[in-house]
Amino acid sequence: MYEAVHARPDGQSTVARLALTASEYGFDGLVVRNHGDEPASYSPGEVADTYDIDIVAGVEIRVDDPSRASGFVSSHREHQRIVAVHGGNPEINRFAVEQPQVDVLAHPMIDDGDFNHVLAKEAARNAVRIEFNLAGVLRASGGTRVRRLRNLRKLREIVTEYDAPYVVSADPFSHLQLRAPRELSAVGEVIGFDAKQIERGLAEWGRLAERNRQRQSEAFVEPGVRRLDDE
Amino acid sequence: MKHLPKHLQPRWRYLAVDIESWPDVEMGRDEFQRRLWYSAQNLLGDAGSADLDLSVIRFEFGGGDGSAIVRTRRGEVSRARAVIAAVDAVHDHAVGLRVTGVSGTIRACEEKYMGRGREDPEQRHVAFEGADQRATVRGSRVDVPVEEAFTGATILDCE
Repeated sequence: MYEAVHARPDGQSTVARLALTASEYGFDGLVVRNHGDEPASYSPGEVADTYDIDIVAGVEIRVDDPSRASGFVSSHREHQRIVAVHGGNPEINRFAVEQPQVDVLAHPMIDDGDFNHVLAKEAARNAVRIEFNLAGVLRASGGTRVRRLRNLRKLREIVTEYDAPYVVSADPFSHLQLRAPRELSAVGEVIGFDAKQIERGLAEWGRLAERNRQRQSEAFVEPGVRRLDDE
Repeated sequence: MKHLPKHLQPRWRYLAVDIESWPDVEMGRDEFQRRLWYSAQNLLGDAGSADLDLSVIRFEFGGGDGSAIVRTRRGEVSRARAVIAAVDAVHDHAVGLRVTGVSGTIRACEEKYMGRGREDPEQRHVAFEGADQRATVRGSRVDVPVEEAFTGATILDCE
């Protein structure tokens, strides 16, 4: 299972510290999804070897205007293994689910974001994973938390109905905000997910990383077609 | 009052919990207990909270590192886990919590999951992001004070 985190300077801990904690917590991998304007500097190979955990370079593109987002998606697509879009407004949500280039639409329901059946169908068609973001239940309180939970439920109902692909994350900004997979499953069960869904959502980051690893390899031509070198 | 007959006595499960925070944070058993109860009440409501009947049996914490044993009723372990996971801060200080194991007795819990010796933090000068910093080092964990807050790092980040 994988977790997708924000590392320093976007978050409060370095990639190495997040990796150390995540590895102890039983995660198989870590997706570093710093916002595009605050990239982390780290050497994935060294961290991965030291703490015995897969490190996946990613980005979360944060812009208000879909036309600018489009440029960022193509430029990040070449270098990053996982490209997510920082959701939360209707235009950006719409843009993200219509782009096969985008891997993940992160937290579509925060701020004034919303989600509906049209977006769910598009997401399913373009294989854009919708994120179930557990930060609201883990770290918000009072009315804010109630709203975030209500939105999460709505999102879950739509996503399940249209069988759209999804990922799950606690969206940690420091090693202290990480929670182990079993804890996340337990939290999920309390708020109406089943434990399997949470596990599948956490594992999906890993599957996504593996798929993109293959796609970005030299031998890849198009889905289902790869070049076999004569030996 | 007279003891309940054995089959009516509640059955408990004991959860071993690892606690981590920044090195300057102090917290006691009472605060931790209170945060757990708040968390239970906010997540599950009064009824759920009463069902879990959480209490903190053992607690030690210092220098950013600690552990606890939390008791809950048998059959409620999953919800207790969720409640523990939903504690994000004690006294406004962020805490990282993780359930390392579950046992049927306090003793088994201590023996199986609490054996890990705590590493004493030491103050040391490290080179972090090109600057010389006085940091708290605990094993391979390094907490560096940067701009009035801590940054979590490891020895990998320090030359």
